[in-house]
Amino acid sequence: MNNKLKVLRAMRNWSQAELADRLDVSRQAVNAIETGKYDPSLPLAFKLARLFEMPIEEIFDDGFEGFNND
Amino acid sequence: MTDLKDSTMTERRNAKRPMSPRRKRYLTATGIAALIGCIMGAWMQIDNPSGSSASLAPLSNSPLTPSFAVGASILWVIGLIVALSIYHRAVDDHEERAYLWAALAAWYTFALSAPVWWMLHRAGLAPPADAILLFAGALVLNCIVWLWLKYR
Repeated sequence: MNNKLKVLRAMRNWSQAELADRLDVSRQAVNAIETGKYDPSLPLAFKLARLFEMPIEEIFDDGFEGFNND
Repeated sequence: MTDLKDSTMTERRNAKRPMSPRRKRYLTATGIAALIGCIMGAWMQIDNPSGSSASLAPLSNSPLTPSFAVGASILWVIGLIVALSIYHRAVDDHEERAYLWAALAAWYTFALSAPVWWMLHRAGLAPPADAILLFAGALVLNCIVWLWLKYR
């Protein structure tokens, strides 16, 4: 799953460690999410959305283009 | 110059941050586990009834004194329960996932190797199954998967 976490973090001038502290997770967790190696759980995704004050789907993109209702 | 300034600011910012309760719990759990390992290893080496200091007692199958066996067993069970209880309250989603996959890899290692070894032994094709060797094999796989998922 693609995400904008790195961009959003850079816009706030936060280090990975700083973001990790704000989310109460490890720096490795932030790095794994940013590099797409790990998709966060729903509670963590909500935490991110609240921290960056935007909807989850604006941070994460699963490539969904709508149901095919033929 | 700007890069140096930025990195210095980041370092200063990081240095100021107090340790979170989650991280404190995490370090406590890993500290307890490491301490148990060190105590058991050192105690086993000192309390070695064979008296040979040339080899490492934890890596041999030489007899142990009853006092060490009882004491170390209690330390292992109680210490590990305490350390793991703290650890599981301290890990985040990412590490929990790494832990669960690592545990599954360890279980599969055991589930695949133990019955095979046992059957080969019963057919006279292998020596008796060595529980600690099976445990060590599972633990190695556990560590590899955990490290890979956490730090890759």
